[in-house]
Amino acid sequence: MTTRRPNLLASLIAWPLVLIIAFPLAWMLLTSIKPAAELFTRTPQWLPRSITFEHYTRVLTETPFLQYFGNSMILAISTTVLVILVSVLGAYSLVRFRYRGRETLAALVLFTYLLPSVVLISPLYLMLVKVGLANTLASLVAAYMSFALPYALWLLRSFMAGIPEDLESAAMVDGASRMGAFVDVVLPQALPGIISTALFTFILAWNEYLYALVLVNSDEARPLTTGVMNMLISAFNIEWSLLMAASVMMSIPLVILFAFFQRYLTSSFGAGGVKG
Amino acid sequence: MNQPERNSLRRHITRRGALRVLAGSGAAAAVALTAGCGSKDERTTLRWWSPQASPDQLKAYKAQIAAFEAANPTIRVVFEATSDEGYPAQFATAFAARQLPNLVTHLPSFAAQQYYAEGLLEPVDDVIKAIGIDRYFAGANEVYRTSDKHYCATGIGNTAADMLWYRKDLLAAAGITAPPATWDELRSAAQKMQRDGIYGAALPYGMNAMTSLIFIGFIHRAGGQVFSPDLQVAIDSQPTYDALAFFQSMREFCPTGASNFSWGESLTAFVSGSTATGIYSGRVLANVAAQNPAIADAIGCTTYPTMSRDIPAWTYNDFPCLLIPKGAPHLAETKAFAASLYQPQLYAQQMHAAPGHVLPVLRAVADDGFYRANPLITRYAAEVDLMTKAATAGHNLGQETAAHKPNLKANEIIASNAIAELVQRVVLNKENPKAAVAATAVRLAELMRA
Amino acid sequence: MPDAAAARPPGAGALERRDALLGMALIAPTILVLGAVIVYPLLSAIYLSFFSIYTPTLEGHFVGLANYRDLLGSGGFWSALVTTAIWTVGTLTLQILVGVGMALLLHQNILFRSLARGLVLFPYFLSTVVAVLVWRWLFNDLYGILNQMLMNAGIIAAPVNWLGAMPNAMLSIMVVGAWKFFPFVVIAVLARLQTIPESLYEAARIDGAGPVSRFFDVTLPQLRDVLTIVILLRTVWDFKEFDLIYLMTGGGPVNGTRTLPLIVYNQAFGLNQMGMAAAYAVSMMLVMLVFMLAYLRRANARSEADSAA
Repeated sequence: MTTRRPNLLASLIAWPLVLIIAFPLAWMLLTSIKPAAELFTRTPQWLPRSITFEHYTRVLTETPFLQYFGNSMILAISTTVLVILVSVLGAYSLVRFRYRGRETLAALVLFTYLLPSVVLISPLYLMLVKVGLANTLASLVAAYMSFALPYALWLLRSFMAGIPEDLESAAMVDGASRMGAFVDVVLPQALPGIISTALFTFILAWNEYLYALVLVNSDEARPLTTGVMNMLISAFNIEWSLLMAASVMMSIPLVILFAFFQRYLTSSFGAGGVKG
Repeated sequence: MNQPERNSLRRHITRRGALRVLAGSGAAAAVALTAGCGSKDERTTLRWWSPQASPDQLKAYKAQIAAFEAANPTIRVVFEATSDEGYPAQFATAFAARQLPNLVTHLPSFAAQQYYAEGLLEPVDDVIKAIGIDRYFAGANEVYRTSDKHYCATGIGNTAADMLWYRKDLLAAAGITAPPATWDELRSAAQKMQRDGIYGAALPYGMNAMTSLIFIGFIHRAGGQVFSPDLQVAIDSQPTYDALAFFQSMREFCPTGASNFSWGESLTAFVSGSTATGIYSGRVLANVAAQNPAIADAIGCTTYPTMSRDIPAWTYNDFPCLLIPKGAPHLAETKAFAASLYQPQLYAQQMHAAPGHVLPVLRAVADDGFYRANPLITRYAAEVDLMTKAATAGHNLGQETAAHKPNLKANEIIASNAIAELVQRVVLNKENPKAAVAATAVRLAELMRA
Repeated sequence: MPDAAAARPPGAGALERRDALLGMALIAPTILVLGAVIVYPLLSAIYLSFFSIYTPTLEGHFVGLANYRDLLGSGGFWSALVTTAIWTVGTLTLQILVGVGMALLLHQNILFRSLARGLVLFPYFLSTVVAVLVWRWLFNDLYGILNQMLMNAGIIAAPVNWLGAMPNAMLSIMVVGAWKFFPFVVIAVLARLQTIPESLYEAARIDGAGPVSRFFDVTLPQLRDVLTIVILLRTVWDFKEFDLIYLMTGGGPVNGTRTLPLIVYNQAFGLNQMGMAAAYAVSMMLVMLVFMLAYLRRANARSEADSAA
């Protein structure tokens, strides 16, 4: 720590940049509370002359927004829980055990980063049809695993590799079983990493667009990303105020998560995680 | 038990507990997912897709569904909106996965013809019979005739999609007395009306279906065609160059963003008052009433001008239709529901949801007092009648003129954006028109062969 | 790569075998899932690329290498590859420059630091759909605030066509991409900055190094590992970016921003040529594979050279 005093010069440089970066978000917020009539003026006003929440009520009452919102929630939470369950065990296995093919597996996980979603999308779709999951939220969870799991494994693997093995050995010397030591020693140590991985997974699932576009074609399983585009950008209208209101509302869960978990964000990278 | 031990035990328990909660929620999530999220309904479910799903239209569909469900308590109908530019992709996956909707409406006729030719559609002869073919306008179903003498679809409406919309007040202010009838008149009108941030026109120059569909109309309005009647590529000819030259000369009178315009942007530009003319269907009426009533008295429409007075008008009618995918379950129920959509009162209500945009295909409904009593249809009676007439005589790439054979590749030609690309190459990239058209001709021939 | 297992003391024979079984049991779910959602679809994709397949019916016939021959012979693949490379390099450069700069600033003790961090990092968590909508609204030619501001400031005289002309469209998506993804660089760099021992700076200061040379002599070398991996990851992700470009420009004007993923999508679901789409996808993957191997080899060689020195 260099100094406790605020660095005024750095503040003067940083804050204008921060404001520029945040401007699009502020503009989204402002647009969403402007009456539609103020939107289509050829000289846009900075601040709304009057504030209205009608766009929010219209999105909530006249469109399937809430249904999409619920779908996105179920989707993101299920994906996160499943990915974390599988990847915590998998990452632990990759860093602490020795067996044949382990290195190959680790390389395979890395390789899966290369895969563009578009490569997998058609065969994945056909497979999901065969197992009878097509057009359900479950099909999207399966599809999202294809990119979320390698990512989670990679984050957790480097995170767990940073946990000293002595603690586990000590617990096992004290009579704990291997899995007991894992639960008592490794999990608590890895908790910040697990939380930040879960956060990233949730965000990936919440924001995914391409698979949702192709794999799902009924409102019962459509998440927000494709739902909002589908209902508000159409051949007969582009309702910017509604789009901005919907955008604000679909970002709210992210804001909440972000506020709570911001301090965990850097942790998965912090413990030398980004060394790969 | 001493203190540290108890502590460690408690920690032990809570951690095990936490793990159990994690595992439990995983299992719960899995159960929720496999259960398909929601209670299973005993009733038979029919899925109905349409890209035409404005809030008012949704209300009308719901009324039609409610009426049918009341009469058939064992059937449930679910409506789902599809995307307008994106329907080919959605259909490709739906067909590939055999996850088919039971009923689809408002797809263009050329899509129906192509899907039928690929063996993906059920003929709808029964539906037409149930509705009564003589209740349609004469010949209204000819465009859906297939080579094996069936109907691949039936019209759910007509649309005159490329009318010239204009502002009477701006024309008058520019000293123009009659709406333009030729390209030269239109260009000079656009030039005179363009000032103070108001642009002259709202033509699309985007890489999308609208640009392709609209530009095909301009080739015809220059006296040309994309394919000859026996479906040889005929685009590489003088009328196409003329149409491109006109499109290029109009670029400066269109908003800067016109190079990304699709239907929504083009419509909004005219409705919001940013352009003095527009190119769209009767949807303009409802949107002006809702979004910019200040110009409601000043708008009017006519068929889009042609290159010269001796070339007849050509109107793009996508022939929005109703089709039934082959292989979807509950065929009989689907057909019954399809026919129920044409019950006169409810059908008129469906037309009212987008007055002047989707025009009736049923003769009786078009002249019916109830249909005509809609405030917008009454207010703009002359425009609606003109659009009805233009749409009935309209065409699209699926059958460019009455003399043409149905083009079963039209759907893919539009989806390939080959024609929109031609427009962009010449207008935006300033490429040599002849070379660009020649390249497009090769591309079209490839698409026809594929 | 830290390898904890390799560091374990030898001679735990039976335990090790039992452990190996446990290790395999723990990795089994991962293998199962990866096999089902990655390996199988991947092999299918390669298989499909040798066929000509009509998407809606999935009927087709074996064409051998014809798809690849057409693809390599047509200019489309190569020009899209160049476009993809331009987009990747452009947006990545912006991301790294802005990201490192912002991380250095946010590492300082500035006023309201955590608020500033929150605001800067947030775009990364925003949905691409939302980011695109917001930016399309900013870029809007008729009602967009961006043109308005620039015109008021006298920088431009007429509205700029941000998305419908080249090179504007490419520059615009690069900026949006940078805005959306630079926080990833900030997160990673910030985390690394916090672990640089203060003593290194003290030593440099004693040697009389100014802030600039402290950055180049102390900070940058310390950041090299993290930047190596960040560049690798972001290159791969930008290279395969679909949502942002598809929703922003759809690949236009003409094919100015049509990158490989957009072609794959259009082939599969626009033109209904599933086999050709698979061929494009597989070729794209090979390009990425070659790039990644070359990059890793170079990075390894460099760090070995350093440790030898």
